[in-house]
Amino acid sequence: MAKELCEGGAKVVMLEAGRGVPNWELLSHRWPYKLPFRGLRDEKQAPFYQGDIRESIRYSDSDKVGVDRVRVVGGRTMHWNAVTLRYAARDFKEWSTQGIEEDWPITYEEIAPYYERIEQIIGICGNDDGLEILPAGKHYLPPIPWRCSEHILHRATIAMGIPLIAVRKAVLTKPYDNRPPCHYCGHCMDGCDVASIFSTPDCMLPKARATGNFTLRENALAREIVVDNEGLASAVSYVDTKTRTEQQVKADVVVVCCSTVESARLLLNSRSPQHPAGLANSSGVVGHYLHGHLGTSASMYLDELAGGTPSNQDGATDHVYLPRYNHLSGKQNYSGGWGIQINFAGYMFPHEAYRLPGYGRDFKENVRKMQPGYLQFGSFGKVEARPENHVTVDSNRVDANGIPIPVVRFRFSDNDRALWQASNQSVLDIFSRMKGKVFPTLASSPGGFASHEVGTVRMGKDPRTSALNGHCQSRDVKNLFVTDGSCFTTSSEKNPTLTIMALSLRAADYIKEQRKKGEL
Amino acid sequence: MDRRAMLKLVALAAVSPKLNALQNAAVCHMDDATAAAPATAYKLQFFTEEENQLLDQMMEIIIPADDHSPGAHAAKTSLLADLLIFSDEDVVKKRWRSGLALMQKAAAHSSLASALDQAASNEENPQTELERFFVSLKQMTVDAYYTSEIGIHQDLEYQGNTYLAAFPGCTHPEHQDAGPSEKLKPS
Repeated sequence: MAKELCEGGAKVVMLEAGRGVPNWELLSHRWPYKLPFRGLRDEKQAPFYQGDIRESIRYSDSDKVGVDRVRVVGGRTMHWNAVTLRYAARDFKEWSTQGIEEDWPITYEEIAPYYERIEQIIGICGNDDGLEILPAGKHYLPPIPWRCSEHILHRATIAMGIPLIAVRKAVLTKPYDNRPPCHYCGHCMDGCDVASIFSTPDCMLPKARATGNFTLRENALAREIVVDNEGLASAVSYVDTKTRTEQQVKADVVVVCCSTVESARLLLNSRSPQHPAGLANSSGVVGHYLHGHLGTSASMYLDELAGGTPSNQDGATDHVYLPRYNHLSGKQNYSGGWGIQINFAGYMFPHEAYRLPGYGRDFKENVRKMQPGYLQFGSFGKVEARPENHVTVDSNRVDANGIPIPVVRFRFSDNDRALWQASNQSVLDIFSRMKGKVFPTLASSPGGFASHEVGTVRMGKDPRTSALNGHCQSRDVKNLFVTDGSCFTTSSEKNPTLTIMALSLRAADYIKEQRKKGEL
Repeated sequence: MDRRAMLKLVALAAVSPKLNALQNAAVCHMDDATAAAPATAYKLQFFTEEENQLLDQMMEIIIPADDHSPGAHAAKTSLLADLLIFSDEDVVKKRWRSGLALMQKAAAHSSLASALDQAASNEENPQTELERFFVSLKQMTVDAYYTSEIGIHQDLEYQGNTYLAAFPGCTHPEHQDAGPSEKLKPS
């Protein structure tokens, strides 16, 4: 968004609650035995969780969900697996096609050009697999070669008549955009210090800076959005977390992109006589419809690879993806589906050692022999968007900077639980087609959200159940836009990031167009 | 950076003229896999010498040296345990001290190996404090061993965390009954 607006001639100030983490500070390649706690206390992840971001949240009356907020320049793009999947046409029409939730106020056809544009900007590897459930672009970089375990899995999926495809990721497999290709170290989630994975600081901010129109203020935690007498956004008040002083920046247009929970928090903390329920919240919708992905993780160790020479370690975490296929099987007793990411956990640590009983020489030998056959599944399933799941703010409990913290309330629905059971069974069904030791999920109930939470400042057709229009523009405050996952009407099983980016690009075009017309 | 990584970098630069300083920075961060960690003597911060000795013996029983690789003792897993528990909450510290005392008491009646065997007898559904302690002990041993230089490089012979100009993928024809190019029925 900042890049687009700057390139369109606007002066942009970006307020970022965290600081930038330069590439040389990342611990991606550091061996565990060279870390103080061997990486067992998340030392590698520490740069992404600045200040009290982990502690300044509360859960109330909730199932087992976790909101994983990062605080760093670049946000989640600094700490992600880079899987980038388009939503299908049906994903924008849950009510029309499934009779549940609501339709988005936009269609796939309207967002498709923005998917295409953002894919070309950031660089994505993969293929056009000809799947209606997973539309493709026209400009992909070569896919990542498959590992032995993935070829063996492919035999099973062919026998089942379900697709297994090369994953689509914002990981470069050849030089692109003056960035080098991936060197396959396997530490994507620890931060990419060579910019082969797309990140905002490496890929977008330099372009914004090149226009001469961009200013980044780090350690700037937004407290509230200030409005003028007409109720339009006029400024953002923020806390300089280094000096602990209050600052303010005036603006003609305010774009909120703090992540789903934080964006709702900011708007709810932005109360005024003109907006007593919080900014953009005359509908009472802000904070509601919180949802994300439910997930399950399971693994097996293939007999065919057991005892073999370790090879293909680690790559770029997932190299293949198993798209949703339950929609091919006719009507189910639940709505929605799941996709399965594969082999994103890495080979350095033998996870089977946690699950194998026993100890001693046999145990040690078994762990060693099994490890080359590691095949890990992580399924991500759709969760219903329901108003009773929400984010509020606790005015009696503030963070280290005096800002009321968010309170999450979330319960899975019967549909969610039925879908989760079906997704678990599907994983076992696929595993049963291969020979090896299976470790199914130990969970007895679903967990969420896998950092894919969305929906708290949703766009929609109905002003009673949405806060934004199809351009991510607030219905109440025409110069306020919200362009992170909070703007989603509903969620599919696919990772949301690419759709967030496409919506942001579309909103940027709209802002530029409206400014040219003198409307903003 | 070792010579192999340097050669790969040179090869990549030859085919990727736009290789920039970022790539060099990455190589500078690649620790030589064979370099040893700094040999500074660790001083126990939580366990007594007697407790550490007991812990070390038990961990070596859990992951022993064999023909393939050294065990937990050589990997100094008890020292990592000391550091981790020292920096944990009081309730965890109490649990470990209590568990070690229970194990010591059980071993006094028979042997350490027998005591460990008894503690592990209900591993998948621990009921007693001793059985629950075994589960924690085993997990600590696993964590400490498989994050050690010995565990990663000598035992598992891990091949990753390196610099590859290209990912080779599977090169075994016997795995590839169907390659990724095979098209399935469109949905």
